[in-house]
Amino acid sequence: MIAISDVTKSYGTGGSKNQVLKGISLQIGDGDFTVILGASGSGKSTFLNVISGLERPDSGSIVYGTSDITKLSDGELTQFRKDNIGFIFQQYYLLPNMTVEKNVRMGADLAGNREYREIITAVGLEDKSKKYPSELSGGEQQRVSVARALAKKPKVLFLDEPTGALDEQTGRQVLDYICKLHKEYGFTIVMVTHNQNIAEMATTVVKMNSGKISEIYANGIQKTAYEIGW
Amino acid sequence: MIIGIKDAVKLIGISIIACCAVFVCTLFLSYNIDIAALKGEITTEVGMAMYQAQVSTGKVVATVSGGCLAVTSVIMLLFYVKNYIDTHGKELGILKALGYSDFKIAKHFWVFGLSVFVGCALGYVLAFLYLPSFYELQNAEHLFPEIKVQFHPLLAFLLVGVPAISFAALAVIYACLRLKTPVLDLLKEKYEYKAKVSKKETKDMPFLKELTRSTVRGRKSLVFFIAFSAFCFSAMVQMSMSMKDLSSETMAVMIMTIGLVLAFVTLFLSLSSVVKGNTKTIAMMRVFGYKHSDCSKAVLGGYRPFSYIGFAIGTIYQYALLKIMVTIVFADVGNIPEYNFDFTACAVTLGLFVLTYEIAMYGYSHRIKKLPIKSIMLE
Repeated sequence: MIAISDVTKSYGTGGSKNQVLKGISLQIGDGDFTVILGASGSGKSTFLNVISGLERPDSGSIVYGTSDITKLSDGELTQFRKDNIGFIFQQYYLLPNMTVEKNVRMGADLAGNREYREIITAVGLEDKSKKYPSELSGGEQQRVSVARALAKKPKVLFLDEPTGALDEQTGRQVLDYICKLHKEYGFTIVMVTHNQNIAEMATTVVKMNSGKISEIYANGIQKTAYEIGW
Repeated sequence: MIIGIKDAVKLIGISIIACCAVFVCTLFLSYNIDIAALKGEITTEVGMAMYQAQVSTGKVVATVSGGCLAVTSVIMLLFYVKNYIDTHGKELGILKALGYSDFKIAKHFWVFGLSVFVGCALGYVLAFLYLPSFYELQNAEHLFPEIKVQFHPLLAFLLVGVPAISFAALAVIYACLRLKTPVLDLLKEKYEYKAKVSKKETKDMPFLKELTRSTVRGRKSLVFFIAFSAFCFSAMVQMSMSMKDLSSETMAVMIMTIGLVLAFVTLFLSLSSVVKGNTKTIAMMRVFGYKHSDCSKAVLGGYRPFSYIGFAIGTIYQYALLKIMVTIVFADVGNIPEYNFDFTACAVTLGLFVLTYEIAMYGYSHRIKKLPIKSIMLE
């Protein structure tokens, strides 16, 4: 369980101070698939960065189980991310001078995961494991990013617009891989997107507007990546 | 145009190396020219032997120092041009896509020659100002008639004008060759890592070891610079300590100063490039939960063996050079003490080098620690 309580975050100082998160409280259950939905500038990416431990909030608490990550030192926060968190970004951020296999090992070695090749196979890239990112399509690069995140066996997977740079067919394919792996491994997913259709795949949808949560609802039926509109 | 004077300013390393090279060459070549004019007036046998030895020394020092530093400057220039194109692939790709020819873009790289001009001009002026003292030093025993400092326009042109023009031309030609990359590859910044899966890579190497290896392999020129930095430190410091019986204190201080300036400038520029070139990798590793010490070790640690190789080569080089000078060049000159390898100087220099290098590494490791974790998302 992730318990987020009254989180605020501002950028800038004095007159140019911009409050991006205005006292957000939320609870995310273990194994949930939560989508944070909002337009550009709504604060959803900042919220993701804060609850994943990439940024510190100005106030409020973020409690994983019994551990409040806002109270952790930088070193402890690094250790926390190592033990618990996986990330997938819109721009992939693969290491360009490493092959697919080595990029995945970046995550796997942190968890002492010797079976990382199974994940490469699970995302359908077993025949491309010796290729460099520049030799892959956008969809394939994002699948490497998925494999890299999952190879470290995260308890919570954070995704920031994971299909934002992909075409419809590739986007659906990547989402399908993520959902299959979610069912298989049972980790918690927190995904940020502006695409309302993708929200139909989630168990819980959190709508954000101007740094606040405007609506939270649960989906009775979760659609698959190939059932949603685009 | 996207290449401007401010980009040339970043080549301060080349300016400093050029300054040192021209400073040394101006001293010895000017002296050689001026003393040659007085050759007929040297009447004593000892004076003539000293004349021959000093002229030979001048030629050796100017050739070795000038040549070595010129080669380093060329490599550094090529590195900067490549690095500039690598890091500005998108902008250059857009220009090419709009219809600018390779040469039309590349010709703007001439500004990189300015850094050489500034360094050479500064080196020449400093040397010219120091020439009277240098001449006195060279003729301390008054074996020759008074040597007057003369201005030699051809020498000035050869040491300042020619290098500046040559480096500007080299920058343009090399940029033109690098820009032959297809537009799409430039736009996608794809040219950097072509498929080159080695046999070693198929081994089950842990990520951090592989990162160390690929960091070194990805920027081979930096291996040269870091080794060169250690070489300068080792050779020049040991030489200045070992030659106290062979030359004046001023000469020893001059050699040590040049060596240390070159060593520090090259080392800091290289390490800065390593950290800057790996900022995204480090940020991503930190996002995933790698400790900053792991990041530092993986990114900086691969260069350590090369720095010690550079130190060893520097030690051999300075010993060989001094031995040759004493046994061959100054063979006919009296009162030259026998030269043997100075183990004390070597041990002291090694101690200083280890201390300096590890402090520099610690400093850059601290810099890595300070890199914002969000820098990965600030593209």
